[in-house]
Amino acid sequence: MKLLTHNLLSSHVPGLRPGAGFPLRIELGHPSELPPEPSPGYEADEEFLRRLHHVLLEVEVLEGSLQCPDSGRRFPISRGVPNLLLSEDEA
Amino acid sequence: MEHEATQLEKQHVHSVYENTAAYFSDLQTKAWPRVRNFLLEQKPGSLVVDIGCGTGKYLSVNSQVYNLGCDYCEGLVEIARKKGDEVLVCDNLNLPFRDQCFNAVISIGVIHHFSTKQRRIKAIKEMARILIPGGQIMIYVWAMEQKNRRFEKQDVFVPWNKALCSRHFSESNQSGDKGEFVHAAKGQDIHPAQLVISECSYQNNLQPETDSKHPRNMDHCLPRACCMKISEEENRFYSALGRSFRSWFFSRSLDESALRKQSDKMKHLKHEGVWAGSAVPIQHSRHCSLDLGHHGALLNEQSLDDDDDVFVESLSLRKPQWSPATDALKDLSLNGGHQSVAQSKGDKASFINGPVEDRDCVCGCNKDGAGKSDASKFFKRTSTTDSTDSALDSAVSVGDQIDAVLDTKAFMRYYHVFREGELSSLVEENVPELQILSSCYDHGNWCIIAERRG
Repeated sequence: MKLLTHNLLSSHVPGLRPGAGFPLRIELGHPSELPPEPSPGYEADEEFLRRLHHVLLEVEVLEGSLQCPDSGRRFPISRGVPNLLLSEDEA
Repeated sequence: MEHEATQLEKQHVHSVYENTAAYFSDLQTKAWPRVRNFLLEQKPGSLVVDIGCGTGKYLSVNSQVYNLGCDYCEGLVEIARKKGDEVLVCDNLNLPFRDQCFNAVISIGVIHHFSTKQRRIKAIKEMARILIPGGQIMIYVWAMEQKNRRFEKQDVFVPWNKALCSRHFSESNQSGDKGEFVHAAKGQDIHPAQLVISECSYQNNLQPETDSKHPRNMDHCLPRACCMKISEEENRFYSALGRSFRSWFFSRSLDESALRKQSDKMKHLKHEGVWAGSAVPIQHSRHCSLDLGHHGALLNEQSLDDDDDVFVESLSLRKPQWSPATDALKDLSLNGGHQSVAQSKGDKASFINGPVEDRDCVCGCNKDGAGKSDASKFFKRTSTTDSTDSALDSAVSVGDQIDAVLDTKAFMRYYHVFREGELSSLVEENVPELQILSSCYDHGNWCIIAERRG
């Protein structure tokens, strides 16, 4: 799972407060460095953009999970594929 | 209703795809040109998602955009992942995406697997939700109206058989590959793989329609089915056809039907060896799969390259005197291109006398291995009028017997095939956030492109 994909994901557990499903918290099998907040005027910062591009599109989460920030429900990521299916009871 | 719908889809969509995923490869299905063009027209840098991406055949069409794919089936998603695609597992009815974040969405051959109108609407609404205003969606669904024929009913179970989905199988054959069929039918050395392809295209083209005003007359079909004389070649040809036809099942839509008592259904199933009306013929399927199973077992044991044995065996199961060369079958042979026997009827008028009869004839004859009278007896026990059994009942009760069927690798996939205009109406009437830009018929599918209003 690329980080850009993560950016598009939101928890869809029923009954969440509006907007509370984003962003899903990435929990990794092993710790890894994640980028800091973007500084103002980042559009012009070539160096930053390159690093941003790298982080969004070239870093992949292979094993770990995504945690709903509101309900705490975890969605697994295995072999690079996140599984965001809800169980029948949840849906 | 919701529970029934999910159960039906679980059994006849999800588990089938999951169990058959291993047999899928990119070679199986062609990327429709129109879909390719839609993708290629997206601006570089666009965020594009394929909802129901399967093995991800559309995810590498346009490398200038960000391609994301998702599917309910883990097995298929795994295959896409191995190709390097960005994919995830999720439910079309509950997409884990934020509102308005995609420039384009495609849904190719997906929503026809939803068993109720409400679910189909929900699927479309979910996809509209994740589109940015001005973003576009392309939806493809299987059409009830095929080349010269139509499905008899809109809710169908389509069998999947390992042999039928060999690496030669291509969905592009939905429109029928006449050349191969003609080839396959003639000559002694019919290549089973080709025959298989033909059967596949036949299956996909099978759209018989009965005159719904008249109840089906089972007895009537029998003489026609069993007593015509045709050549040995044609006999083999039709044998293969018969095998395909037998496997098709129609069901009543979950939307329409009232649920019948289980007891009625079970009684029906136990005593009726033949598929009747619109109900899914559990017994029938068992017979079919037994019949087919004979092939099936063979096909399982042997590699698909072991053509001769497969083919020869299939011949030996046919009684020489059986020739289901009804007008109907002859008509259908049109699609397969068996021109020498084919007769052309008008477009709308060219329906066979229901797949039921022919299939039943085939099954009846084969099973009993006997002549007319036995088969008629066989038929008379069956109600010829439509039952109001729901697909659910059938599906649910099929559950047990499906296990028996499974080992023949004859899975059945549920489809709701769309009438002309149905998809457009569905969107116009229920998804106001989408505005339809264009619609067309393509390769046996109804297609629309719509834009998110905003």
